[in-house]
Amino acid sequence: MTSVIDARDLTKKYKHATALDNVSLSIEKDSIYGLLGRNGAGKTTLMSILTAQNFATSGDVEIFGEHPYENARVLNRMCFVRESQKYPEDATAKHAIATARLFFPCWDQSLAEELIDDFRLPLKTPIKKLSRGQQSAVGVIIGLASRAEITFFDEPYLGFDAVARQMFYDRLIADYAECPRTVVLSSHLIDEVANLIENVIVIDRGRIIMDESTEEARTRAVNIVGDADSVQRLVAGREVIHREALGRVSSVTILGQLSDVDREFIADANLDLTPVSLQQLIVRTTQADTTSSNEDENTGPLTDTDVRSLQS
Amino acid sequence: MTATTEALGNQHSTRSKSRILGVVRLHFMNTQTFVWVPVIVLSGVWLITLLIYWIISASGVEGPMYSGGSQAPLWYFAVVGAQAMNLTFYFSQAMSLTRREFYLGSLTAAGISAAAISTIFVLLGLIEQATEGYGINGFFAYLPWVWEGGPFAAGLTYFALTMLVFILGFWFAIVHKRFGALILTTALLVIALVLLSGAALISLNGAWLEVWMWVLETQSMGLTLWALGLGVVFAAGSYLTLRRLTV
Repeated sequence: MTSVIDARDLTKKYKHATALDNVSLSIEKDSIYGLLGRNGAGKTTLMSILTAQNFATSGDVEIFGEHPYENARVLNRMCFVRESQKYPEDATAKHAIATARLFFPCWDQSLAEELIDDFRLPLKTPIKKLSRGQQSAVGVIIGLASRAEITFFDEPYLGFDAVARQMFYDRLIADYAECPRTVVLSSHLIDEVANLIENVIVIDRGRIIMDESTEEARTRAVNIVGDADSVQRLVAGREVIHREALGRVSSVTILGQLSDVDREFIADANLDLTPVSLQQLIVRTTQADTTSSNEDENTGPLTDTDVRSLQS
Repeated sequence: MTATTEALGNQHSTRSKSRILGVVRLHFMNTQTFVWVPVIVLSGVWLITLLIYWIISASGVEGPMYSGGSQAPLWYFAVVGAQAMNLTFYFSQAMSLTRREFYLGSLTAAGISAAAISTIFVLLGLIEQATEGYGINGFFAYLPWVWEGGPFAAGLTYFALTMLVFILGFWFAIVHKRFGALILTTALLVIALVLLSGAALISLNGAWLEVWMWVLETQSMGLTLWALGLGVVFAAGSYLTLRRLTV
């Protein structure tokens, strides 16, 4: 795997706040990343700095091995779709899309036209008069049809209904399969994008608190379903991040991995293991980080639960 | 993918040119700002001036009539400059353009507009010359002092002044975006104070006569060169301010 984005020690300070605090990350070629975090966590700032639309107070960015600032060779290969993009005053969707076609070298016009149909986007209305969802559709269409080697989507579905969001996810996956590229999707609808993203980066108060493959992230926790008493015996003494109960059946999500002993117990007690919600995991992790911020940064907030076992 | 990248690298300079032309197209997307309002301002002021001339000449006045009305579209270019910045910069960033490409494209777009309006101005002046002020001795575009060097020089004067005003509007808009309203207002106040102290200095030395003599001596060609020189300085200033503007 080769990395297309390398950021080292990025810090962005404003007068009264630190938006990014010593962020280092690298992003691999041809993969879909979820950039997750609460509002104001620093997602937009990070993407703005990576696309040279904003400047870091300190630290370095390399895109395709070069600095992106004022570098048409590099910017050319990127597309950044903002949550609330501003368009020229009189521009219609038709103008905006025709302009994008002009500037993105890998632009796919037939894809753009299909997407216009899918989202039922009115082409001749000035963008400022479109509904919020239709405005978002303009950005999504540009982002997908640009087929840029690195595409950033910053909460691109504002005002989309469930159907439009699903359409966006389906289209993204389909086009990604046809034309692999690097996609960074920032979102707070974690469960919706969980099946889409191959890697998850969680940012909280300007710091990266999780940066791993979605598969790895999921193994941080397990979900056990079955007879309430048996489940309770298994999870006793462990960190429970989510609990649901219906009569005698309960479903509990715990942090940490299962030992062989655990697995035997689960088999004997006739319990079931089900996939963990990435959302629960991330919500819990960001909260844990808030409450125990003086913990050692390198080991992370989950370490103490990771080593706990059933025998103790 | 590598092959594509290399091909793109080879076409870099041609691509860069076409990207700058793309910015020009981006600006002219704002047809209202760039085309219709200037046309309405110019034709409106022209019509009003002619009506006034007609009223005056109807009341029996015979001498040649001149007015400053033809300045109106020129001043409007400060608005065009500010709008070019406000309306299009953010979208140009979303199109993955560099600030340099946006800047060069914006100046090119302004140049095209200024050339168009200067051409109209010169044509009107030629018509006025040929018809002796629409037959009523009233002149809108033909001002003898500006036209001393002939139609081409007059057009160049109008072009240079229009560009200068555009660049000022453009620069003020960048300063506003980058440093906020407070700094922009302060800067404008400081400029006003500097100009005022210059005027005070001239008054105290009783030098107004010399100043007017100088203006007359430099003629419109001198004014054009001054406008071009200042335009270049302000254009450089606006580029330096734009370089670190964030979205």
